[in-house]
Amino acid sequence: MIANAFDYTAPQSLDEALTLIGNGAKPLSGGMSLIPMMKLRLASPEHLVDLGRLKELSYIREQDGELHIGAAITYYELESSTLLLGKCPLIAETATHIGDIQVRNMGTLGGSVAHADPAADYPATLQALEAKIVLRSATGARTLSTKDFFLDTFTTALEPGEIVAEIIVPIEPGLTGTSYQKFRQPASGFAMVGIAARIRQQAGTLSLIRIGVTGLSGSSYRATNVEAALEGKQPTEENIRAASALVGDGVDASADLHASADYRQHLATIYTAKAIRAALSRSA
Amino acid sequence: MKIAGTAALPFPPERAYDLMQDPVLLAKAIPGCEALEKTGDNEYSLKMKMVLASLSGAFDGKVRLTEPERPHSFRMVVEGSGKIGFMKGDGVLRLTPKGDGGTEVAYDGEAQIGGTMAAVGNRMIDMTARMLIKRFFEKLSVE
Amino acid sequence: MATTVTRIEKLVGKRLRRKEDPRLITGTATYVEDIKRPGMQHAVIVRSPHGAANIKGIDTTKAAALPGVSAIFTGKDITHVGSVVCGADLPGLRKPVHHILAQDRVYFVGHPVAVVVASDRYIAADAADLVEVDYDVTQAVTDPEKALAPGAPAVHPEWPDNTAFLYHQTGGDIDKAFADADVIIKQRITSQRLVPNAMETRGVVAEWLQADRALTLFTSTQIPHLARTILAGQLGIDENRFRLIAPEVGGGFGSKLNVYAEEALMGFITMKINKPVKWIESRRENFQVTIQGRGHVDYFELAAKRDGTMLGLRLKLIQDLGAYHQLLTPAIPTLSVLMMPGLYNFRNIDADVVGVFTNCVPTDAYRGAGRPEATHGIERMVDLLAAELNMDPAAIRFKNFVQPDQFPFPTATGLNYDSGDYGATLQKAMDMIGYDDLRKQQAAARAAGRLMGIGISTYGELCAFGPSPATPAGGWESATVRIEPTGKVTVHTGTSPHGQGQETSFAQIAADELGVPMDDIIVLHGDTAIIPYGIGTFGSRNTAVGGPALYYALQDIKEKVKKFGKMLLDAEEVTFENGVCRDPKTGKEITIQTIAGAAYRAMKLPPDTDPGLVATKFWEPSNFAFPFGAHIIVSEVDRDTGEIAIKRYVAVDDIGNQLNPLLVDGQLHGGAAQGLGQALWEQAVYDDNGQLITGEFMDYCMPRARMMPWIESSHTVTPSPVNPLGVKGVGEAGTIGSTPAMVNSVIDALSTLGVRHIDMPLTNEKIWNLVNGAKA
Ligand SMILES: Cc1cc2nc3c(=O)[nH]c(=O)nc-3n(C[C@H](O)[C@H](O)[C@H](O)COP(=O)(O)OP(=O)(O)OC[C@H]3O[C@@H](n4cnc5c(N)ncnc54)[C@H](O)[C@@H]3O)c2cc1C
Repeated sequence: MIANAFDYTAPQSLDEALTLIGNGAKPLSGGMSLIPMMKLRLASPEHLVDLGRLKELSYIREQDGELHIGAAITYYELESSTLLLGKCPLIAETATHIGDIQVRNMGTLGGSVAHADPAADYPATLQALEAKIVLRSATGARTLSTKDFFLDTFTTALEPGEIVAEIIVPIEPGLTGTSYQKFRQPASGFAMVGIAARIRQQAGTLSLIRIGVTGLSGSSYRATNVEAALEGKQPTEENIRAASALVGDGVDASADLHASADYRQHLATIYTAKAIRAALSRSA
Repeated sequence: MKIAGTAALPFPPERAYDLMQDPVLLAKAIPGCEALEKTGDNEYSLKMKMVLASLSGAFDGKVRLTEPERPHSFRMVVEGSGKIGFMKGDGVLRLTPKGDGGTEVAYDGEAQIGGTMAAVGNRMIDMTARMLIKRFFEKLSVE
Repeated sequence: MATTVTRIEKLVGKRLRRKEDPRLITGTATYVEDIKRPGMQHAVIVRSPHGAANIKGIDTTKAAALPGVSAIFTGKDITHVGSVVCGADLPGLRKPVHHILAQDRVYFVGHPVAVVVASDRYIAADAADLVEVDYDVTQAVTDPEKALAPGAPAVHPEWPDNTAFLYHQTGGDIDKAFADADVIIKQRITSQRLVPNAMETRGVVAEWLQADRALTLFTSTQIPHLARTILAGQLGIDENRFRLIAPEVGGGFGSKLNVYAEEALMGFITMKINKPVKWIESRRENFQVTIQGRGHVDYFELAAKRDGTMLGLRLKLIQDLGAYHQLLTPAIPTLSVLMMPGLYNFRNIDADVVGVFTNCVPTDAYRGAGRPEATHGIERMVDLLAAELNMDPAAIRFKNFVQPDQFPFPTATGLNYDSGDYGATLQKAMDMIGYDDLRKQQAAARAAGRLMGIGISTYGELCAFGPSPATPAGGWESATVRIEPTGKVTVHTGTSPHGQGQETSFAQIAADELGVPMDDIIVLHGDTAIIPYGIGTFGSRNTAVGGPALYYALQDIKEKVKKFGKMLLDAEEVTFENGVCRDPKTGKEITIQTIAGAAYRAMKLPPDTDPGLVATKFWEPSNFAFPFGAHIIVSEVDRDTGEIAIKRYVAVDDIGNQLNPLLVDGQLHGGAAQGLGQALWEQAVYDDNGQLITGEFMDYCMPRARMMPWIESSHTVTPSPVNPLGVKGVGEAGTIGSTPAMVNSVIDALSTLGVRHIDMPLTNEKIWNLVNGAKA
């Protein structure tokens, strides 16, 4: 459990970091995923550039009707941000489901997004929020939707030299309720399935339904068939169940020691209904 | 660990079969393959580099294609070992024509993992195997 | 000379905080990892990635070329070092030679193949990566039942049946019991392999002083003296020139009741390179190569009368031993046999044990060691019988308990239960939880379609190891009490506490006996140069065997104190109480502190009395001690997900007298957590090739604080007649009692669906499948 030798740089500025990363160095944020892999020598980067200390990546601010979150913001900062709790509670709530407090003190939103662990919590939430992901490199910046960013198991649209710089989430419109519900894998605490729900309820009718899913398969996704099945419907238990049952349709569910594909599918259905109910209970 | 599933290729079975016997194309399609060299009848040495999330590892191994039943089925054995562990996949691929002129490939086999890789992240292995297989067929289908 | 004596409050029985905690919680304790010696080298071990393979060759040239590498050793270098010792013996036992580095074959993943020594640990790890081992992989077998099947791969080619031993024990008349039976219950019950997971992994620092021909070895062990004796033999050095120190030890749970290849290996290396060397086990190695616990497949058959009277129990026990024997590996299942009657009155048993080699790391003692398996088995069988006869599981237990007037109670397995009132603990637990009312609630819950369960376990335990004839290396314990010239008191114990809290509880005993403040007492242990000899810490023996040794040493020293007191007070008789000798006639008094000074200055000595105040006692117990208790767990199963919620957990334990109830609670709570871990979550899973696929905490589910229920704990007190303190032992009780209560509770919840038995761990998916299958 000893890493191979590596160089470490704590850059003074984002520009310096981007230059180093452009030259092949690997970003380090909270280190909660990267360091364990290095200690097992499953990962052996030659040069680490520490983004976690950059003030330029550490902010949460409201701008042009949206919330901008720097990649180096930690889970603890997310869960305790009054700005987020007031204007986009789902993103704060999700942090409380992650690991233990030590992990939340270190792990970052940018790191989680870049890592794209198929059982990580934030991808589901960002899918449901239709977040935008801002990528930067020494030569420029681009903004992607979650759909275009999360490609597959541990695979994202990040190109060599690029980092996740910022996540943009919407300020929740009125009458919207959100919730993240997670069934933990008992050993790791990661999501066996995790469902983020975001729903608007007006005069007994549902609209703007967004369901983000993690854990069920190799990559997070938006369960658009669940969304469509509820659009314009009334929030009856029957409607919720019928729609939730669609969450894993056509999805190649994962299987491992902890859960078979069938069980995961089943949990996804149960937890989708749970998340929808909880979101509804929070929509004014 | 059992590995089974299906994939679709947009070619008739004969062509699909031949593609999967062609070392040049295999080299392109096997994820992370850096070199594939013929070492004997239907046997190739394989060098691959797997990069997945922060995990990265080089593997040396071999690929064997046996039990040919053109264009219906064949068996493929892939083995590799490197610093981070070793792996072996052994399975039969069955090709059936589809109505649209394409081919459905059904694969069914066993995968073994050992070394550091095996002890960490049982949860990752199944997902990773599926992704690699998916990529393999995606690459083949654009040939 | 008169002083006023303030009455000192007795400390035994009080909930005192631990004296050892400040250094532990401030991070200032010294573990093996904290030890640094001048010129110290670091070792990293190259281990087999295969479950079974022949070694065709090892190439160390690249590794040796790395700057900083001082030595590399492989199997051929250590053939003269004694092999790893198995201290257990059974008739016909096959003992594979267990070299400290593999010879031409590896038998499990993690088997040490080579060791690299370098000036720092990083270089050693890099070099270990460069050692090239050429393996010819052969077929492994990891399932003990598969290993017994004809044609299975042989773990040791010389023994193709993979059988290490067959052991048979019988008592009473088993055939008659089964002939007389109205009902016979049969069930296959498994106890899965578990990883002990001490918080501190193992580690060794070894230092050879060539000029003195002396070896000092620091190791994280539960048995410093036994380890020294064994290692001295392996290394061929004089035991009296060999100092073994167990510094702070961060938990063991039996996993450090052993002498491992790495300990001898570090001794060998330091003698070879003439420099100190350190090896620290990584967490990954700890999962793979430190012994694991349990590993049973048991076939039980219970004979009973229709009125619920149990008549006899048959057991076929298959023990997964792993690839080798560690110190006590083959003995562990024999403890299961001893405890198979549980708390019940029947006197006919028959047990057939088969010890099976597999390509896995050896099993050995893990908290409870053999007794949790037995208890789980009998407690499941009692519940199965109750279900079969449609009786209440509490009622059937009351009917079969050994009664208070039957003690000492000789069992069919040859034990002699010391004391107990089994009905009282169960009754108390039932009163606490409101049993009758609970059953009504359960009926209502069932009517409403909810899956609520009530699980009882009434366990007994054989502990306080033990009379020497029944313990492989002696079962006594030693204690030395030294009153220093200033009156401060130094206690030496031959036990080797590592979390149990004897630095506190033994100080309480000494404080009460000598009448000195707690703070004036220090309890030392774990260093063979300081402690005369000792057996160590395991089998819930510290307090029940080490405690009496201390108690008797204190009596001896008190006699001597009184002799000096009598002389100094010029009295005919003196009393000694609260640290003061008093002449009842004159009322004159003298304190122990003053007496201590006089005893060392020795200006004058009492008749037939030597100077100084030191007493040593080696104490041999006449029997084991037998704690017992009743645990009741109320649970509810979520039909939708298979999740299990623990609604209430009541535990009533009788561990005899309690020296410090706070320590008792700690032991019971920790034990219960480990027992629930086995019931619900933990399992060491090997694939067919010998890979441990739950080899880290991401996949091996250790219970977390947030998963624990609130434990409502209470006690009954039945002192043990075996020792003067009346104590029994508490280290393993919680682990033994909790597991079957949990499993019985969930099975009770699912019984309306026709579920009779579920093997552990009770994973959510397993439960969901049962609920789901029942629906279909
Ligand atoms: C005990 C434990 C429990 C955990 N439980 C959970 C859980 O329940 N749910 C969950 O979702 N996660 C969990 N995690 C993972 C945790 O959330 C990680 O922190 C997260 O996955 C990675 O974030 P990080 O900041 O630590 O990234 P790092 O570990 O520093 O980096 C991860 C990867 O992303 C790259 N990277 C980092 N930052 C950037 C960037 N800005 N741009 C581009 N690439 C970047 C790195 O190069 C590396 O490849 C757990 C981790 C631990 C140790």
